[in-house]
Amino acid sequence: MAQSVLVEDLRQVVGEANVLNTPVHLQLYQYDAYLEERRPDVVVFAHSTEEVVGIIKVCNAHGVPFVPRGGGTNLSGGTIPFKGGVVIEMIRMNRLLEVDQRSLRARVQPGMFNLELGNALALLGYQFLPDPASQKAATLGGNVAENSGGPHCFKYGVTTNHVVGLTVVLPDGEIAEFGGMAPDAPGYDLTGVFVGSEGTFGVCTEVVVRIVRMPEGVKTMLAIYDSIERGSETVSAIVAAGMVPATLEMMDQLVIQAVEQSIHCGLPVDCATVLIIEIDGLKDDLEAQSEAIVRLCMEHGAREVRVAKNEGERALLWAGRRGAFGAVARLSPSYLVCDGTVPRTALPTVLKKVAEVGEKYDLKIPNVFHAGDGNLHPLILFDWRNAEQKARVMKAGMEILALCVELGGTISGEHGVGLEKMDSLRLVLSEADIRSQLRVKRAFDPKDLANPGKIFPAPLEVVGAS
Amino acid sequence: MPHDLASLWRRLEDIVGNSHMDADPESTSAFAVDGLVPSLTVRPGTQDEVAEVVSACAAEGAALVPWGGGTAMGTGNRPERVDVVVRLDRLDRIVEFDPDNLCVTVEAGMPLARLQELIAEKKVLLPLDPPDGARVTVGGLVAANLSGPRRLQHGTIRDWVLGMRVVLPDGERIRCGGRVIKNVSGYDMNKLFIRSFGTLGIVTEVTVKLLPMPAAQASVMGLFPDLSGAAAVVEKVLASFLLPEALDLLDPGALDLLAPALGHGATGGFALVAGFTGSREVVARQVRDMEVLIAEWGGTTHLFQEADSVRAWAAITDVFRALPEDPLRVLCTMAVPIGRTAGTMASVRVRAAEQGLTATLSAHAGSGILRAAFRPTHGSSGEGAIPGMAAAIEILRGEAAAVGGSLVIQEASPRLKERIDAWGRPGSGFATMRRIKVEFDPQRVCSPGRFLGGI
Repeated sequence: MAQSVLVEDLRQVVGEANVLNTPVHLQLYQYDAYLEERRPDVVVFAHSTEEVVGIIKVCNAHGVPFVPRGGGTNLSGGTIPFKGGVVIEMIRMNRLLEVDQRSLRARVQPGMFNLELGNALALLGYQFLPDPASQKAATLGGNVAENSGGPHCFKYGVTTNHVVGLTVVLPDGEIAEFGGMAPDAPGYDLTGVFVGSEGTFGVCTEVVVRIVRMPEGVKTMLAIYDSIERGSETVSAIVAAGMVPATLEMMDQLVIQAVEQSIHCGLPVDCATVLIIEIDGLKDDLEAQSEAIVRLCMEHGAREVRVAKNEGERALLWAGRRGAFGAVARLSPSYLVCDGTVPRTALPTVLKKVAEVGEKYDLKIPNVFHAGDGNLHPLILFDWRNAEQKARVMKAGMEILALCVELGGTISGEHGVGLEKMDSLRLVLSEADIRSQLRVKRAFDPKDLANPGKIFPAPLEVVGAS
Repeated sequence: MPHDLASLWRRLEDIVGNSHMDADPESTSAFAVDGLVPSLTVRPGTQDEVAEVVSACAAEGAALVPWGGGTAMGTGNRPERVDVVVRLDRLDRIVEFDPDNLCVTVEAGMPLARLQELIAEKKVLLPLDPPDGARVTVGGLVAANLSGPRRLQHGTIRDWVLGMRVVLPDGERIRCGGRVIKNVSGYDMNKLFIRSFGTLGIVTEVTVKLLPMPAAQASVMGLFPDLSGAAAVVEKVLASFLLPEALDLLDPGALDLLAPALGHGATGGFALVAGFTGSREVVARQVRDMEVLIAEWGGTTHLFQEADSVRAWAAITDVFRALPEDPLRVLCTMAVPIGRTAGTMASVRVRAAEQGLTATLSAHAGSGILRAAFRPTHGSSGEGAIPGMAAAIEILRGEAAAVGGSLVIQEASPRLKERIDAWGRPGSGFATMRRIKVEFDPQRVCSPGRFLGGI
């Protein structure tokens, strides 16, 4: 009956209507965009920092773990309550609290969707630069927890480069402010340490972000190639020419075909790859830059280069890329999104090897990749009802990550470790590295209540013993 | 003091050889930290040697302070102890330069200026410009999170570090991050060590992103009779499409110091300097727009092209080096919300005058950073002036705190530091910071007492 005391105590904090514990409700919170499922004991909706404090104090009193949750778009199982306990649903804390244009900062609650913030700022002529593909449904709190990327990282960096302050409820229920509206707060950079900690350091209840003016001009191009290598070479050539585009995105033939079937944006289904290039900034040299880029594309064997002449054409060039994940879902009942990263120049090599992995395991693997920053997303297609096939998928996924590491890259560029990559973490971290990270975890969460059972694999001794 | 200096010497000698050690007070005094002279200095030649040196210090109960170019050694509180200074000047190699992927890996003792020279042949740069650029090392840049005018467009070193190697206080070696732009494989440990002032270990190797060199650069200086005109232009520029790389505001004191370098006469007024880089077209357009804005707000303009622009910024960045030596001088950095920068400059001038201090101020006006030098206005240069100075600095700290900011002492005499905390009072995140220090350095081997709240 400890369970019902827990529920009763949580009701005292947030009121009866904000506590869910029927089997049907709990089932809705047992999964995210990854492949595993685990049922929470109870789900609580938080509306304020004070409520989060109350919830976490109840968790402490009962020794029960908690997992903060936003849009639930996580691809690595970050929001799955692996050890049960309380899911703290943050989605109702979704207000834009302050926009200080003179200080180029905004203060936001974590349950706000990334795109909503973008839309609100756009009305004022400003933008928040991180824009993960899931921005319609991914919350700011989730962006912070996962250090989200998006297609603009090559020029503008990832979430951590744009988050300057956090209000956090620590796992013991204390409120802490890290950073803030002013830069360079004395002490360790706990804002930077917290971003990307996947919900294991506590719950952030307010985020201070950097905002920047919308660029004066934007120019979008799409180059079509009969060979992936030539497309990748173009990317390197553009960078070598001293240009820093905001976006350099590619997708391969299988993705293009899926996209054409679902949204008909006029891409040739017989080409090997398309490269989307976007440059932005002051309008004075955009024309010259875009001409130089078109020239480089043609020199590197592009079949055709399309340059958007207006906002409508730009949206069309982007439509394929934005709809890629959705379109691929039409190709098979399920797919595993890999998230490896390599130094940019290793992209052609890694793509060739990914194709070999596909052949070896008899799996179809369409590819979408952020070519500017070397982040690739092979999408391994399968049918979740076929256990034997799923096992092959997991093996192929592991092999792809190992390839990325071999080429000087890493196992996750933007999706996080969560449950998915715990076993591959040792590909990139030594035992000493892992021990040092666990020291930070202990400093934040000595009782291991915040999203336990994630990121770190079991110590080697235990693995050996089992 | 270590338990046994002779024993420590023998252990370190086994690691680096006695030609790379020094216990002669004549030479070790040059490595004093806030007046604390180390018992010895040691110069490891490899990252493995650094790890062994740290282990030896830990085993012997000695406290160590890492030392790169020494440019930020005045920052922070007087350490509890300094037994060994670990000099990193022999760790000055490029480990891997990969211009095609716009990144370079270097050992921590590599001077920033030399790194820039070495990578310039491939037309790339690390676009950071801390003061004392000739002496500052990459490791120092990381440990002290040093920055300069260009942080407006390029941020600070935390935005450029992709990975590093660190020797922890128990001698264990770890890697943080990697060499790719996007990396969420475990916690972002880089951030923990950036700006940790040597309190969590020694950074031995750093991998940073690089940027293609811009084709053109130029700067526009506007001279204004008063602060309000300059401040108005700052606001207009920040709200415009313009993308200045740097936007610095100089008060009359700073402007006087820069008169020889910038080639203008004494004006008694304020200056705003905007730096632009990029293609020739965007630089020319921004210079034009800037000149118009300055004129609109009652300023007169001076243009610095290419090499002149580089020289102008070097002088502005190191403006306080032109100050006369004064044992009572205090150098501070105040950090405030960007929109409060000019206002804080105005209020600090008033408060400082009330407290009998002469202030020299230079601000990164688009970044919320004010750099300040204070000294007593009337020649009361004796020790008797110290309590008054300390009280006055606390009052000025209050000006920053009132808008949610901070004041950090970058350089002050040890006597003054006895009376005032270099960092100010810790905030609500401090409990976690202290637990981190205890987790990583329970024995207090690394720079004990130097950082916030006695960490």
